[in-house]
Amino acid sequence: MRIWKEIACTLFLVAVTAPAVTAKVYVKWTQSTAPSATVLGVSDLVIPWDDAAKGLVEAGKKQKYRVFLEVKLEEGPAAAQAASTAGIAGIILKGEASEANQVEERASKLRSAYPKLQILVLSAGGRQPELRGWLVFKKDGILQVSSPTSQPWLDANLAMIRHERAFQNGRTPLYTFSWDRSDEMVKARGPSAADYSLAVAEAGAFHADLLLELHQRQQKGLASGDKDALANWNEVKRTIEFYERENPGATEAAARVGVLTNDYDSSYEAINLMARHNIPYRVLRSADVKARDLEGFELVIAFARPSEELTANLREFAERGGIAVLVNVPGAYPWDSSAPANTTAHTVSYTVGKGRVIELGEAVTDPETFARDVRRLMAKERIPVSLWNSLTTLVTTYPGQKPGEVIVELVNYAEEATQVQVQVRGNFGAVAVESPERGCCQALKAAQVDGFTEFVVPDVLIGARVHLQGPTASSALAEAKPKP
Amino acid sequence: MHWNRTLACALLASVPVLIAAAPEAKTPLVHKTKYIMGTVYEIAVYDDQPLRASQAIDKAFAEIVRLDAVMSNFKPQSDLSRLNRNAHYHAEKVPADLYRVIEESVRYSKVSGGKFDISVGPLVDLWKAALWGERVPTEAEQLKLRECVGYKKIELIPPDRVEFHSPCMQIDLGSIGKGYAVDRAVEILRANGIVNALVDAGQSTIYGMGAPPRKSAWEVHLRDPSNHIDPQVMLRENSVSTSEQTPASLVGIETAGHIIDPDNGKPLKTKYALSIVAKTGTASDALSTTLLLVGPTKGKAIVKSLADAAAIWISAEGETETATTGPQIRLGDKPQQEAEGGE
Repeated sequence: MRIWKEIACTLFLVAVTAPAVTAKVYVKWTQSTAPSATVLGVSDLVIPWDDAAKGLVEAGKKQKYRVFLEVKLEEGPAAAQAASTAGIAGIILKGEASEANQVEERASKLRSAYPKLQILVLSAGGRQPELRGWLVFKKDGILQVSSPTSQPWLDANLAMIRHERAFQNGRTPLYTFSWDRSDEMVKARGPSAADYSLAVAEAGAFHADLLLELHQRQQKGLASGDKDALANWNEVKRTIEFYERENPGATEAAARVGVLTNDYDSSYEAINLMARHNIPYRVLRSADVKARDLEGFELVIAFARPSEELTANLREFAERGGIAVLVNVPGAYPWDSSAPANTTAHTVSYTVGKGRVIELGEAVTDPETFARDVRRLMAKERIPVSLWNSLTTLVTTYPGQKPGEVIVELVNYAEEATQVQVQVRGNFGAVAVESPERGCCQALKAAQVDGFTEFVVPDVLIGARVHLQGPTASSALAEAKPKP
Repeated sequence: MHWNRTLACALLASVPVLIAAAPEAKTPLVHKTKYIMGTVYEIAVYDDQPLRASQAIDKAFAEIVRLDAVMSNFKPQSDLSRLNRNAHYHAEKVPADLYRVIEESVRYSKVSGGKFDISVGPLVDLWKAALWGERVPTEAEQLKLRECVGYKKIELIPPDRVEFHSPCMQIDLGSIGKGYAVDRAVEILRANGIVNALVDAGQSTIYGMGAPPRKSAWEVHLRDPSNHIDPQVMLRENSVSTSEQTPASLVGIETAGHIIDPDNGKPLKTKYALSIVAKTGTASDALSTTLLLVGPTKGKAIVKSLADAAAIWISAEGETETATTGPQIRLGDKPQQEAEGGE
């Protein structure tokens, strides 16, 4: 009963603040001619703001795209001025990670000055999503650091997306990345359709917008109507269409862990590994956190020194049964006056009311172990979603828009059909999966075990979305006919 | 002798100059990754024909996928799963690869006095909850499962049959299978004309074929829990494997490690990470677990009984123990003889 109350509370809290979600793909274009918007399957083309921009803008407009300019921070005013008189939809401001505040400030001023122009901000720190190896190539040789107990290394943008969502006042993050071209085949031929699709699926599943860079060869092929290029792109287009459709999930993923931070650097490595371990967390800007923001979490990790008010809130949070972990923020805290419950080489732990406060006396030096620790600290029976034997897959759950509905997004970085075993907290009567390749929807057999619903998604190639509905909800999803 | 040593030093000293003066290498690099056997396999090839290299890598990966279907204990339809289901009742016929890996495993069990044991799987499963800070198995549970463990209860009947002499025995090839797969992948690459390649099985076993352009061997930096020893090996037609117990919790949670000592049935307690260089992936993979389990004192004796092998044990505090019968493990810029006074 208590479980259902908690689930209902979490779903309600998120759903009331959540508009319908769409994830947009903007395509960056650098060739003098462009294919039609129907061929690309996107409506927004992004042109770099340089000497060639004028011609490219005309080429894009001719093909009925909404054209955006990608501009550096200092070029913003000039580009906005030019865009406002040239029928351009908007500009995308980009800066270094260290310039995040200036970019936001500049964007705000430009929005006031040019209200008809869309002023978007490109998040720094995006990386090519991929299942990586561990080899590091250096001067024709290989530099290799061996770490046999590590999980597969996934380069993912989930941590960055969650961080950006917290620091951009809830706006949908927009990010990009450059393709790794160290491999000769990739350099010559460009990324595969699966690589492009993974990038699109990742952004879509985690509810972010993506500025997708296309290899020159791919652009030329599409512009000239090359058969292979078109066939290749059709696979990507299918994924874009899937994730650009209105998503039934809420904007914010369900979370049991709160991450309190004031900057990217102090927390990034830890939250990146937490994302890879499928730990359901939400990032909160430490300076703005109020007591009510901590409700619904069972664990809070503070990477920034808490204010007096926040310290009091953390104490109350622990007294109610929560666990607060303070990472490398030494200070005089109210719980310090009691005797530590446990002391190790790195930590001092205090019992506070029904809960605990753990002070980690140094920065997170081993994010993999830290992420495992976070998972161990969470009560097993409250984890919203877990996967088995799917180390290359990231998962997030979102409250759906229908009562009792939960949406599970899966992204498989291995880019190969993988059987994924899933356990979702709660008892659901209808479970159905849809994917870019198979459309909507295939009913899945599910078992209810100890307050969880367990099922197997037979073949997650890159992305899949699972819809779960409560036992009393309509089973319309499961009965839906496959897409022709 | 003295003259020779001086000449050798002079030649070695001149190598960087020659390299620096050489024109930029143009040999293309083809590098691919694939998730197989629960880990990420990587193959990097330097070859004048990138397409040929790419195809050769795909064939090598296909071979590892094939072996996974033979040796997986997660897949119910694998040959190993079938063996685990049936070999208690009768001598089960198995494919040549599986027979060979089990045969090699038993050999390493004998070399290590039973410390290396592919039948330890049931105990590993028993300790899995404790690995996540949950319940520690009772002594009675441990005792019961220890009856299922013991390489001597595996009977190999040439040329292709295996029988278990324990009703609850289960084989797990996790401590040797990846190394064997690396060796087969190397064979496939060679058969397809590849000379210079590095094959990596998720960091646990790495094999160097030939060398990168303008280099004499593949430089591999090894696991260093102290972060200041920086051990390195140069691989050329040999392999290195690393074993390490699961690191302790940072926040004081009592947890067990994933490597179980077959002698007492409990998670191994060791301060070391261990790396071993050997002629094949199979050998280095099997020996890495063995040498971690036996520790440096007994481990050095095992290394010295092998041809062309070298091992290094490193603790988080920076303590090192080494042994070699050929390959050199360098510590930072210093060869091991200088650092250790010769082993």
